[in-house]
Amino acid sequence: MSVVMKNTLAALACAAFAGNAAVAAERGPLPFVTCPIVQDTPSVPCWIANYRGETYYLGIQSDVSAPFNPPSLGHKVLVEGSVKKGAPRICGGLVVEPVTVSIMPEMSPECEDMRQVDPRYVLPFEPPRPPGPSTGKLAFSYPAPPPPPKPPYKPMTFTVPYEFEGMVNFKTPRVLTPALTYGRLAKARRIEVAGYRGATRLSDGTVMAEHEGIAHARAEEIASMLRGAGLDQAKYVITADEHPAVGGPDERRTVITVVP
Amino acid sequence: MGGRQGWYWGRGMDKAVLALSLACLAASATYGATKQSDSPGAQGVVAGHVPDQLEQAQQTPATATKPADGPPRWWAPGEGRVFPEFLQYDNPTGAVGLYNQGGAFKTAGHPFFEPLGRNGRACVSCHQPADGMALSLRSIQERWKATAGKDPIFAAIDGSNCPNLPQGDPASHSLLLKRGLFRVFLPWPPKAADGSRIKPEFDIEVIRDPSGCNLDPKYGLKSANPMISVYRRPRVVSNMQYVLHRNFGIGAFVGKTGEPAARDPENGQPVNMNMMADARQPTLKTQAVEAAITHLQFDGVLSPEQLNRIQAFENQMYSAQVRSNGAGSLVEPDGPTGFGPRNLAKGEKGVLGNNTTKWVIPVGDAWQKQKPGESDAEFAMRQSILRGQKIFHFRTFWIRNSMYLNNVGLGNPVKRTCSTCHGMHMTGMDAANGWMDIGTTNAPWAKEAPRNPWQTEDELMPLFKITCHKDVEPHPYLGRVIYTQDPGRALISGKCNDVGAIVMQQFRGLAARAPYFSNGSAANVRELIDFYDRRYNIQFSEQEKQDLEHFLESL
Repeated sequence: MSVVMKNTLAALACAAFAGNAAVAAERGPLPFVTCPIVQDTPSVPCWIANYRGETYYLGIQSDVSAPFNPPSLGHKVLVEGSVKKGAPRICGGLVVEPVTVSIMPEMSPECEDMRQVDPRYVLPFEPPRPPGPSTGKLAFSYPAPPPPPKPPYKPMTFTVPYEFEGMVNFKTPRVLTPALTYGRLAKARRIEVAGYRGATRLSDGTVMAEHEGIAHARAEEIASMLRGAGLDQAKYVITADEHPAVGGPDERRTVITVVP
Repeated sequence: MGGRQGWYWGRGMDKAVLALSLACLAASATYGATKQSDSPGAQGVVAGHVPDQLEQAQQTPATATKPADGPPRWWAPGEGRVFPEFLQYDNPTGAVGLYNQGGAFKTAGHPFFEPLGRNGRACVSCHQPADGMALSLRSIQERWKATAGKDPIFAAIDGSNCPNLPQGDPASHSLLLKRGLFRVFLPWPPKAADGSRIKPEFDIEVIRDPSGCNLDPKYGLKSANPMISVYRRPRVVSNMQYVLHRNFGIGAFVGKTGEPAARDPENGQPVNMNMMADARQPTLKTQAVEAAITHLQFDGVLSPEQLNRIQAFENQMYSAQVRSNGAGSLVEPDGPTGFGPRNLAKGEKGVLGNNTTKWVIPVGDAWQKQKPGESDAEFAMRQSILRGQKIFHFRTFWIRNSMYLNNVGLGNPVKRTCSTCHGMHMTGMDAANGWMDIGTTNAPWAKEAPRNPWQTEDELMPLFKITCHKDVEPHPYLGRVIYTQDPGRALISGKCNDVGAIVMQQFRGLAARAPYFSNGSAANVRELIDFYDRRYNIQFSEQEKQDLEHFLESL
């Protein structure tokens, strides 16, 4: 195990402990697993969820650039985050912010709640992307990336986040592209890819862990993507921690270390 | 017995052909490594599945028939006539125009127009100017009648349902004669760009095989050279600078899946993968190499000069409808700014359309008022086209369970419009890497003949059962068992999520090239609209359907 890996694991253990303590202290309604609901409005639909008699507002439909990507009917959803205190309800739900939603992979045909426009629910803001064509740009823009680092190049890490039980998806290139660019610039000799497996303690006390083997699968997939994108001259060192770290979304990750 | 025959035939190639195959294999590793080649685009610089296709193409008999000259609208291989700067051909709803931006040239000796292979075909055989550089069912049927089935487009290799069938019998060419479909044969399991085998995420079983090709001991899945045959429409070879752009959404990774994008073997740059139905070839040159082998039965090696000429021609062609039977000219100087091939040539390539500055299909301020000399009927049709353009951009409906739309951040369902997916300025293609499953080939939405005791016509298309392995996630909308007529992108990637995902096509010159969808399942534009209406429960009114139809037919 490399020094970097040891340090990372030590830090991870501390973070996991801190995360558990925080969850235990709050004992709020989140996280939970439930069916998502789509509530139409005169503009774009909003996504809500009912859990134990309360309605929670998750977010609205916008586009691929949005920090919130709506879930899917036909599948349950894991909702992580916290209720924003004092915020007025939106679409009848308590606002969860920040919110992380993970679509459960297995199909759940009972999740079919699709609600028509209800005059009581009007978005209190202008949606950044209307339901029709774009206004010529994506709904959300990201800050311009910092200029590429200059020599001398040092080992640099990049962290790929995942949804629960998630693998590479449409959001992954946002992290992988800078890693690829740096690997090319630094003429990477070695690329360490460390996959991790997460677990979430639900508000009812149940611990829900990702399946065993996902840490390795994540690391292998990321390595194969970097190789496939042209970073094929470096030596790849793949490690995986299949111990399910109980915590939030941050526990589900792959860490790439590019070593010049 | 049959399997052994196939094996011996496959291994019985003469030395020259075998050497060529080996060269092909060796050079395909070059492709995988994306090194620059001394001979860019040479036969070896192709994706890893091509050597297997070469073997089947070579073992398929071919006869180079020289067809009788057709009517002026038909371009036969090797005619040698001049290709002018502008061409116009009538079609059922008006006329299509072709703008050759490079100017007039003689086609004699040009590799796009010459019969290069053993079966007498040229590229132009299936990319006919009168059909907007694709091939309409109308033209196919006319050629059958005119040549008694001898035209090279009916070659056994892919112009018949299977090469093992008696050639010249209409029943052996039913997929081409009834749906405009050519056979595409791909190795199974799939192969990566470097020729290595990809471990598929699913098992595939042939449930129905009307052509007999998938179960054939020589050409099928259990032959010595295992192949899956699917049946697809030729795609448009025009407006290619839009199709192949490297602008919005194109980078090292595919925007919708996160996987590495295919790269141009000549320069290592990522490509947009929007050219072929399954995105299996990255560039015009690599596509030409594969097409020469699989469609033309060309046993040689295309020279760099030939490939450059094919690429240059394909990049300089623009086509679009120029006249509507009801609305008159679509290309008057003060007409809609997005119509006609010359506006396409001037347009900005690879831009995400919008409703402010770069409409997906811009019309500008044209046709708002009736002009002097414009008949009431003409004005009414123009108003209908304008309404159709608005429906295309603004009529919302719920898009549901469509792979690579609903699972890429928009939610399932998403309330959007036609222009959400068909968003590229001027073409209505997807601006980013655009394969998607809307159900054209997958059950339960794919067109299937009803089965009952009174049904007299059996289903033409094959049916495959896909069973996703337990160690991969199920397809989010179709589960672990999927029935499909064409696995689409999954035949290249081996991924469960890609089953039935097909790269969407451009909208230009639609009126010239029915039928539509990759499997020709929509006989005309109205059937195309009806498919969407059913699939997404849009509940278009009859007026909306008419307007949308008029709009699409004017593109």
